Amino acid sequence: MQEGDLRARFRQGDPDAVREVYRSHGRLVHAVAYKVLGDRGLAEEATQQTFVKAWRAAQSFDEQRELGPWLAAIARRVAIDLYRREAVRAADPLESVAPGDSALVSTPESAEAMYDVWEVREAVAQLPPEEQEIVRLQHLDGFTHAQIAERLEVAVGTVKSRSFRAHKRLAAMLGHLRE
Amino acid sequence: MSTSDDDRIAYLSGEAVDSLSPQEQAELDEVRGLLATPATWEEPDAALEDRIVSAIAEEARRGRPVESAPAPAKPETQRTRGFRWPFRRPALVLGGLATAAAAIAVAIVLAVGSSSPAPLQFAMVVSGTSLAPGAHGSATLTKMNSGWEIQLSATGLPHLSGSRYYQAWLKNAAGILVPVGTFNDAEHVILWSGAPVTQFRSFSVTEQLANGNPASSGRRVLVGVAHPVH
Repeated sequence: MQEGDLRARFRQGDPDAVREVYRSHGRLVHAVAYKVLGDRGLAEEATQQTFVKAWRAAQSFDEQRELGPWLAAIARRVAIDLYRREAVRAADPLESVAPGDSALVSTPESAEAMYDVWEVREAVAQLPPEEQEIVRLQHLDGFTHAQIAERLEVAVGTVKSRSFRAHKRLAAMLGHLRE
Repeated sequence: MSTSDDDRIAYLSGEAVDSLSPQEQAELDEVRGLLATPATWEEPDAALEDRIVSAIAEEARRGRPVESAPAPAKPETQRTRGFRWPFRRPALVLGGLATAAAAIAVAIVLAVGSSSPAPLQFAMVVSGTSLAPGAHGSATLTKMNSGWEIQLSATGLPHLSGSRYYQAWLKNAAGILVPVGTFNDAEHVILWSGAPVTQFRSFSVTEQLANGNPASSGRRVLVGVAHPVH
């Protein structure tokens, strides 16, 4: 289905289109929610609320707009509402919290940070699976090239070349190469 | 590709590179930080798609409530960050403003056109917990003279009988639980709450055993959070 047709059907509130929009944007919405909430269950709750709210508002959705940023804006708002709800629910006496506890200074992520996650998540999703795995092991899990090679049972040189190729793709997609 | 690009890629991939300026390093460090963020990698549960489609189908069956569109996305050209992101969506701003204006117009027309005040109403989607991962549905909570009427419609929960039954609860921010009814089948249930939904917004359903203990079993099978319907 063409993006324009999908947007039109979503705007009309076609439930089948909702499924397709979820498949194209669900992970990104979830990433935005997870960035705000830092909890898988709450992020899923926020993702569900985001799509329900988007569907409710679909009649006023401008077909000329892209779905992604629109959904991201809803996801951020929903996630912040949940964040505030959870902050109230989990409120402990201030005296019981250590002075250096990050909870004392934590605030919902800015809109800009949301878009940063959005962009990076989208770029990573476009990498081939073997390159995604190396980038994940390297950055999220903190493994060295040698540790990744041992884990994947490939030569260190293979890991290095895959890693370079993956980061080259990421840099190109994220606009970090000189033009 | 220039040598500098190779250096930037090498630095992004974690190698020590001396030739980059502090600003370039800071830009790339920010990307490395985002790559190390769990949110970049976390995958939602595979069943979430079905839960969302079911929740929306249920709302579609009842008729779509009006909800305003969000404010337009911040135009990317106004970013203050130092490094370059792909600026692919400049047309969003005007479209977003038009959408927001249309939503406001719809809201005003509805507000002016309404001759009698609508009852205070909340709504929610409900999802199964790990004890009932396939369960899902929705509920509306309406303020009536005699209390709050809760219309629950959920699928994916087995019919309970004999000494086993479901009990629904509302909870406020302080964690106080209020029972709002018992039932055997969740497909179409009407529950009542004397506690105000404006304060008791967290909804749950537990599996109970008729053993003389009226307290919650703690076996939650369905959860949701009520939000006002505007």
